[in-house]
Amino acid sequence: MSDISALSFEEAMKELEGVVRDLESGNVELEKSISLYEQGARLKAHCEKKLKEAEEKVARITLGPDGQPNGTTPVEGL
Amino acid sequence: MTTLLFTHESGLAHVSPLGHPERAERLEAITAALAGPGFAALARRAAPLADEAEVLRCHAPEHLAGIKAARPERGWSQIDADTYMSPGSWEAALRAIGGAEAAVDAVLSGEAANAFVAMRPPGHHAERDRAMGFCLFGTVSVAARYALDHHGLARVAVLDFDVHHGNGTQDLLWDEPRAVFVSSQQIPLYPGSGHADETGAHGQIVNLPLRPGSGGAEMRAAWRPALARVADFAPDLILISAGFDAHRDDPLGGLNWTEDDFAWITGAICDLAAKTCGGRVVSCLEGGYDLDALAASVAAHVTVLMERGQ
Repeated sequence: MSDISALSFEEAMKELEGVVRDLESGNVELEKSISLYEQGARLKAHCEKKLKEAEEKVARITLGPDGQPNGTTPVEGL
Repeated sequence: MTTLLFTHESGLAHVSPLGHPERAERLEAITAALAGPGFAALARRAAPLADEAEVLRCHAPEHLAGIKAARPERGWSQIDADTYMSPGSWEAALRAIGGAEAAVDAVLSGEAANAFVAMRPPGHHAERDRAMGFCLFGTVSVAARYALDHHGLARVAVLDFDVHHGNGTQDLLWDEPRAVFVSSQQIPLYPGSGHADETGAHGQIVNLPLRPGSGGAEMRAAWRPALARVADFAPDLILISAGFDAHRDDPLGGLNWTEDDFAWITGAICDLAAKTCGGRVVSCLEGGYDLDALAASVAAHVTVLMERGQ
């Protein structure tokens, strides 16, 4: 298993899709099924964290009194 | 009237490789739990050896022959990634069936109000042509067909609250209009089946998927309407695939049931049985892999059976 915290969003999503596919295929051993599910849950949490970080980087362009762009401010409430 | 316990020492001779979760200690833990003073009134019987032809009530002859041929002289034979046979497994599996059928006999004859069959290997993953998930033969399905065909019952219900879907029971009873099968299970989890849109050839199968991390409230909300459907079906006998791995301490499941939840569902099933079939319930052990949680949950389950069986 790779170190989940080092994965990019795209890598984690790809692994998560593989986990879901394996769990739904019925080809996973009974004994390993729960740990595979738990790995999927960790991947999902990591994807959600990456999404949140990306959202926080999305900035709103602010305009000056003359109507021209003069900077950015973080977007709230996404 | 009383509650009967069917078990046999051969259940300990089905030996798994070291570290396997479905191990003989499970049955030892159950036996110890049911030896306490609260269970003095529990009448005990040896699970008889079923004739191997009983397996054919549900399984293909090739499957029976394959399992028979896979018996090892020593050590283990591996049947699938999870499933092993030791030299004692053949007798244990046939006594699991024999115990379930003897329990059906006892409950239908009026010798007992209800019964619990504490045997292993479990059975609810075994399909018509395939052993899997620790299971060799579909014990509860065989007992259901025995009740229908040998005793001539018109309708039976099979209720499965193991954390894993009873894919084997679903396979064996898929085209059996005389049997309703209700199964609750964590999804996603092994074996990957058990979604609500799997309803059987006659609409007689009800699957209740439960979300990982969910507990007793969600379980009760799922089972209440399902049990009402079973009441409408008016079974002459209720069989339970009693798995205890939905317990919050179980290492193979991700649900959060407690002993109280197992007591609740046992009581709800007994209430249903009292209304539809004179209280006739035969419960058979399936999973449950944390020894303390298993022992406490089986104790809660059997306590309710005894209370309702008086």
